[in-house]
Amino acid sequence: MIAGLRNRDVTVFEYVYDHYAGALYGVVLRVVRNEEVAQEVLQDALLKIWDKIDTYDPAKGRLFTWMLNLTRNLAIDRTRSREMSQGKKTDDIDRFVHSIENQQRYEQEVDTIGLKEILQHLPDDQRFVLEHLYLKGYTQSELSQEFNIPLGTVKTRARMALIELRTRLNVK
Amino acid sequence: MNIEEYISSGILETYAMGELAGQELADTETNLKQYPELRSELVRIEDTLEAMMMQLAVSPPAAVKAKVLVAIANKGREVKMDAPVVMLWKYAAAASIVIALGATYMAYDYHGRWKDSVLALNELIGKNQQIADDYNRVNHRLDQVENDLRVIDNPAFTKVVMKGTPNAPQAMASVYWNEQTKEVFLSIQNLRELSRDQQYQLWAIIDGKPVDAGVFDTGLAGLLKMKAISKGATTFAVTIEPRGGKDAPSLETMQVAGVISKG
Repeated sequence: MIAGLRNRDVTVFEYVYDHYAGALYGVVLRVVRNEEVAQEVLQDALLKIWDKIDTYDPAKGRLFTWMLNLTRNLAIDRTRSREMSQGKKTDDIDRFVHSIENQQRYEQEVDTIGLKEILQHLPDDQRFVLEHLYLKGYTQSELSQEFNIPLGTVKTRARMALIELRTRLNVK
Repeated sequence: MNIEEYISSGILETYAMGELAGQELADTETNLKQYPELRSELVRIEDTLEAMMMQLAVSPPAAVKAKVLVAIANKGREVKMDAPVVMLWKYAAAASIVIALGATYMAYDYHGRWKDSVLALNELIGKNQQIADDYNRVNHRLDQVENDLRVIDNPAFTKVVMKGTPNAPQAMASVYWNEQTKEVFLSIQNLRELSRDQQYQLWAIIDGKPVDAGVFDTGLAGLLKMKAISKGATTFAVTIEPRGGKDAPSLETMQVAGVISKG
């Protein structure tokens, strides 16, 4: 598959698209929270995957992880530029309200997607870290600074949460 | 190095999210090469991430795929411009690929829509046929009811109610008889089902003799026109006979009978 992508084989790319575009779109959608923007970001991400496949090193991790991180970073960049242009970061109250709204919308989304059952088995502190890191697009250091959690604690909680998910999702 | 402690610090999860940089990243990469246990733990972490994201997948609209494929075809054009003459040809080739891709996608899309339309059309034709059939059935039934009503409403017809005999106390049927035109119509209120080789037969008693007025089956709705019966009938009765009827009634099978009240 990787060789096919490197050879710019469109059928291999289509296979990758059919298999992973949904997962990547889900990631983008949860971070940018706007279908139109999410579709743009997904397109950008897929084109970047096509362009930058030579920089992917299988020795360093799996193809999906590479695509996931590339896509997630694009999505995060997009929300940041949007937040900056809307001045959301300068006004604390606005931001607070905004985040509450997002929280509610997010709860609904999670509900419809059905992850809630999986997540609700996690202890609160682990779930909080997992949601912010993997679903809302926070980096570990952002999470640590913004919510006053030591970076080491963020890391171990992320690890515990993933281990819990491992059994729930039947990963061997 | 204590492998377990290293793993439980969560550094591999951080690495998997692409959030390590500089010396920390370089060290982790070295460690991953050196210790297979770290490598397999990383694979598990990545598998978990993939499984989670697959669970949370949301299908993007089909247009995204088409746009990306067209953009990729366009890229081929940009990258492969070498010499001016070749460039022109490559440009033309790339453009035709774009057009072909676009056309293929549209053909595919329209083919799908066309198939959907044909299915929907067939369904509509079927429904239309069914509605037409229903309408014809209802219309036919209405004609029948109107004709029946003309008989029932017409004072020239005498209604004769035939009540159950001891053979069938619950049975009941009626006859509408027009003495002038000799027309006879039968309506069943309650007669039991017969076996397939049997039929009901209606008789009129004229001058004390039974006259055949025709055979009939159960399950008829509305009025059934029977054989003409001329003046002088005093009684109507129904017997059970072999299919096709008989010349003379089997009186012991009589189900219903009714005397005509004059006036």
